[in-house]
Amino acid sequence: MPTPDTLRGSARSHILGIVLRLLPAIVLLVIWQWASGRVIRTIYVSKPTDIAYRLYQIFASGEIYPDLLTTAQELLLGYAIGAAVGVTTGYLLARSPRLASIFEPYLMAFYGIPKIALAPLFIIWFGIGLWSKVALAALMVFFLVFYNVYMGVRSVDRDVVNMTMILGASERQLTRHVYLPAAAPFVIMGMRMAIPYSVIGVIVGEFTSSTRGLGLFIVQASSNYDPAGVFAGIAILLAFVIAANAGASRLERRLLRWRPSPSGTQHQEI
Amino acid sequence: MRVDETNVVADAGERHDTRAPALEFDRVVQDFRLPSGKGSRRVLDTISFAVRRGQFTAIVGPSGCGKSTLLHMAAGLLAPTSGAVRQDGVAITSVNRAIGFVPQQAQLLAWKTLRENVELPLLLRQVPRDERAERVREVLAAAGLAGFEDHYPHQLSGGMQKRASIARTLVYRPATILMDEPFGSLDAQTRMVMQDDLQSLWSRYSATIVFVTHDLTEAVILADNIVLLGSQPTRLKANVAIELARPRNVFQPFHTNRFAEFYDRVWAIFQSELARPAAETVAANADA
Repeated sequence: MPTPDTLRGSARSHILGIVLRLLPAIVLLVIWQWASGRVIRTIYVSKPTDIAYRLYQIFASGEIYPDLLTTAQELLLGYAIGAAVGVTTGYLLARSPRLASIFEPYLMAFYGIPKIALAPLFIIWFGIGLWSKVALAALMVFFLVFYNVYMGVRSVDRDVVNMTMILGASERQLTRHVYLPAAAPFVIMGMRMAIPYSVIGVIVGEFTSSTRGLGLFIVQASSNYDPAGVFAGIAILLAFVIAANAGASRLERRLLRWRPSPSGTQHQEI
Repeated sequence: MRVDETNVVADAGERHDTRAPALEFDRVVQDFRLPSGKGSRRVLDTISFAVRRGQFTAIVGPSGCGKSTLLHMAAGLLAPTSGAVRQDGVAITSVNRAIGFVPQQAQLLAWKTLRENVELPLLLRQVPRDERAERVREVLAAAGLAGFEDHYPHQLSGGMQKRASIARTLVYRPATILMDEPFGSLDAQTRMVMQDDLQSLWSRYSATIVFVTHDLTEAVILADNIVLLGSQPTRLKANVAIELARPRNVFQPFHTNRFAEFYDRVWAIFQSELARPAAETVAANADA
């Protein structure tokens, strides 16, 4: 636990930490800028200034907005549906041994299928529009969230459940006061891990067949020998994942503020 | 519904046969299945004893003799293989929400603050908000936890977690409280303070207490009577009344008048059970 007189120091070391963390990225960009055209041909790797200019162009002209909007919609819908179904299924199966014994083998078998391979099938089923990408992203998110919630709820300490029943809890009250909060760290971890997978699902879907979207933008840039465009598209995806992760971290800190900080010293065990 | 749930506890004494003991173990047998899956091992063999209303009963026996198992049956978490456990004359057949249970580990909910943890049983029983706040405040003050309401369990010391666990039980005023080696994990000083506090809380809330321990001194200084268990399989060895005046000095038990006399009496019985397989066999044969 920080004592008041170390707080100033910790704020300073916090800023230092951020600078140190940005350093590799800056070094990489500088080397990239220097090497492009000198060591490697620019047509292969573009260069940071070109990419920045390309980003400026597509936003200033507004040409990227339809693609951006489409991809954002697919991501949000796919993620929300996958996470909601994943949490519900994971919770139900963890609480009902009978359901689990029936469905667990199937889920584990489907888990093993590379979901990417389903992309062409989903295009046939859901068309080349929004929903094939939503379905692919939802499927990828579902498995990660399901698995984590299932494990999380199953690992809830039986003694704590018994104790809470003695204290007067009904089944519904157990869900609210014990199972969900106890599983929260697992739920959040699953939802966090699922963020990049939702992006993969959507982009692969758009690569396969689409009329609009960042994936399509990247494919077109690539076929036009426009590496700056490809990297610009990737940079936007990167920004999205970083923002989503930061949001997840904030949520995690808020929901899990009851947990001892992992870096903290062991709590008193008298 | 609302009114009912709270009244079960408050009226327990009136609704049931008042002549029946608060808690009664009637020829209780418990067999546990062996890990191999084949056959079973008898853990508790025909245990019978009764706990009178308002009394402080300690259950003492060597480790692994099934002391906690008895409490789990009284809490309705485990059904006896044969025999019955009755509360106020009524057999316990499902999770017993009318008793209080203080487990070995404090088992507070890590995601709730101290206040929320202690408030939980009242919330679950749908006690109105104002009354909840009042009762929580009162019991936290009595347990010496005022000022720590907004701390999470991991921010509390082991002793404080234990107090919280006891406060959480006292707050809904169960007529009978089961305690499973509640002070086993505490250091010697903390434990004595807790014993002293338990004694005064007990006289204040006038509950029936069943207290499992392997510590003879603790049992003699706290209890009105001690149920002594032998092991393998566990049988009841004796039920000894401890007639020491109250309040008792838990800090200096040997200065308490007649403490040594009762300690020796219980020790004489307990002695034969201490980690001597050979002696046990002899004792068991002598019993038979």
